[in-house]
Amino acid sequence: MFTRFIENLRIAIFSIFANRLRAMLTMLGIIIGILAVTLMGTLISGLDRSFEKSISFMSRDVLFVTKHEWFGDEDWWEVRNRRNLKPEYVEKIKNLSDYVLAAAPLIARTTTVRYRDKSVMAVQTNGTTEEYLQVSTANIETGRFFTAGESRSGAPVCIIGVDVAQELFENEDPLGKKVKFGPHQFRVIGVTEKQGKFLGLFSLDNRAIIPLGTFQKMFARRGWSQIMVKVPAEFVSEAKDELTSVMRRIRGLGPRDRNDFAINEQEAFRSQYNTIKLAIGGTGVFITILSLVVGGIGIMNIMFVSVKERTKEIGVRKALGATPKTIMSQFLLEAVIICGFAGLIGLVLSWFGSLVINRFFPSTMPVWLAAAAFLLSLLVGILSGLAPSYRAARLHPIDALRYE
Amino acid sequence: MTPGALISLKGVTKVYEIGEDQKVHALRGIDAEITAGDYISIMGPSGSGKSTLMNIIGCLDTPTEGIYRLEGEMVHEMDDNQLASIRNRKIGFVFQTFNLLPRSTALRNVELPLIYAGVPVDERREKAEDALKKVGLGDRMDHKPNELSGGQCQRVAIARALITNPSIILADEPTGNLDSKTGVEIMQILVSLQEAGNTIVLVTHEQYIAEHANRVIKLLDGLISDDTSN
Repeated sequence: MFTRFIENLRIAIFSIFANRLRAMLTMLGIIIGILAVTLMGTLISGLDRSFEKSISFMSRDVLFVTKHEWFGDEDWWEVRNRRNLKPEYVEKIKNLSDYVLAAAPLIARTTTVRYRDKSVMAVQTNGTTEEYLQVSTANIETGRFFTAGESRSGAPVCIIGVDVAQELFENEDPLGKKVKFGPHQFRVIGVTEKQGKFLGLFSLDNRAIIPLGTFQKMFARRGWSQIMVKVPAEFVSEAKDELTSVMRRIRGLGPRDRNDFAINEQEAFRSQYNTIKLAIGGTGVFITILSLVVGGIGIMNIMFVSVKERTKEIGVRKALGATPKTIMSQFLLEAVIICGFAGLIGLVLSWFGSLVINRFFPSTMPVWLAAAAFLLSLLVGILSGLAPSYRAARLHPIDALRYE
Repeated sequence: MTPGALISLKGVTKVYEIGEDQKVHALRGIDAEITAGDYISIMGPSGSGKSTLMNIIGCLDTPTEGIYRLEGEMVHEMDDNQLASIRNRKIGFVFQTFNLLPRSTALRNVELPLIYAGVPVDERREKAEDALKKVGLGDRMDHKPNELSGGQCQRVAIARALITNPSIILADEPTGNLDSKTGVEIMQILVSLQEAGNTIVLVTHEQYIAEHANRVIKLLDGLISDDTSN
C-alpha cells in the first residue's frame, strides 16, 4: 500500500515537472480562486478589527437621542420639519426616567483653534455638561474635566484632543495655555486620551470639549445636537422603550402622533456594518466559487489530456500488475498535487497581498482561513480529478497497450 | 487435467462484438495444456487468433466461454483486481515493442512489478540489480530506454519479466523489432531461461524462431490446427 502510494506520488510529481508550463497555466484558475478567498477573508477580518476598535468609543449601554435615525429610511421632508432637540431635555429625562444613570447633551460645530501663530482647522467642537465623562468613553490624559459650576456658568475653559494638543503645542505643556476659538479665548484645562479614527474616516482626537453654557453663549444655537443617555447595560432595550415614552411626553406628542425623534444605539452601527460585510463577503464567495469552478474545469481538462497521452504507459502498468485502484489513485494524486501546489502559491501571493491590505487597515490573514483555503484547493483537485482518473482506471489493458 | 499441468485451457472461445449483430469469433474452442518447464511456440498467420490466445494466457483478457486454469487458479472467473494481481505474481511479459517506460531508468523499469507487489525499496532494488546483471546489463542500470539499443531494451524487458519469479514468461514476437543478430542473442537468453527451469510461451509467425521451442502449436481460424512436440 505504502510502496504503491510512494510510487504514485513519484509519478505524479515527475509528470507535473515534465509538463511545468502546462501545469502552471492550469494552476492559474485555482491560484486566483485561493487568492480571492483568502484576501477577501483578510479584508473582512481587518474590517472587523478596525470596526470593533472604532466602535469601542461608543459604549453599548449608551442611547443616543437624535432628531433622526442614524441609518434610517424615514422620509427626508418629514425629518426636515422636526423640531430641534434642546439641551434642556436632559434634566427632564433625568427626572422622568427610572433607568437613566447619567445624561449629557452634545451640541457640535467645527471651529478653527489657534495658539499664537499656529492653528488647527476644522476642529470638532462639542458643548456638553460635566456628565459627559460618564456617558462617553473619552478619558482625560492630563489635567481635568470641567466642573458642574464651570458648566453652568459658561466658563471659558476647554479640553482638547491629543491631535489638537500635539499640533498646537508640540513640546510645550498645554495646560493653562490660552487658545482662541475664533474670536473667543479659552484656557486649556485638560487633554483627552488618544481614541483613534472612527472606521478610518474621521479622527476622534481632532476635537475640543467646552461647557454647554459657554457654547451657547459664544456660538449660535444652530447645529445638530443630541442627548447621550447612559443606562444599565443589562436593561438596554427596556431603557430604550422607557426613554421613547419619556421623549414623547417631553415633546408633547398625542397618542396618534408619530415619533419626531429617534433613539439610536451602537447596535445601529453594528447592523449597518454587518450588511456591508455580508455584501463584501457574498461577492467574495461568489468570485471564489466561480474561479474555483473554472480552475477545476481546467484541471479536469488537463487530466483528460494527461490520461490520453499516457494510455500506453497505463497499459504497461496494468500488464505488470497495477490494479484499477492503483491507476485511479495515480491520476487522482496528480490532480490533487497540482491543486494543492496551486493552493500554496495562492496562499503565498495572498500573504503578500495581505501586507498591502495591512497598510490600509491593520489585518492579518487568519490561520484557519489559510488552512481552509488549502483544504479547499485539495477538494477541487479531488473533484476535478475524479472523472479523468476513473477513465484511466477503466481502460482495458489490451486496448491501452495497443494505443499509439 | 493432467496432474502437474501449469496451464489448462478447456473449450476456450473468444467472441468480439463489433457494433450490433456483428461478431468476430477470434477463438472457437481451444483445448490445451502446458506443463511447467516447457518452451512453447504459438504460430499462425495474422487473424488466426494467436494474439487473442496470448492475451488470455497472459490474463490480460478473459475467455467468453471455457475454462482457464493457471496453477489451479480459475482465471476465467476473475475480476479486474484479481487479474491484475495474478499478472503481477505469475506472468512475465516480453513485448515486441519492449513497452518500457520511456522516462524511467532501466533499473526503475525492472523494479516496477515489485512496486505493484508492494516490495520494500531496498529489497526490490537488490532484486532488480541482480536481474539486470543476469541479462548482462549490470553497467547500464541508470540508462533510460532512449539511451539503450533495441537489444538492450529487450533485455531490460526480459529482466523485468523475470523479477517476480513468474510461473510463465510470455514473449510476443520478442525479436520482431530487432535485427537478426540481436534477435539471435535474445533467443539465446530465452533458451537459457528455459534451461534454468522457466516456462516460456512464445508467439511468433517466423518458422526459424519457433524452432527454438520444444513444442509448436499452430493456430488457424481460431482453432488449433497442429500441435507438435520436438
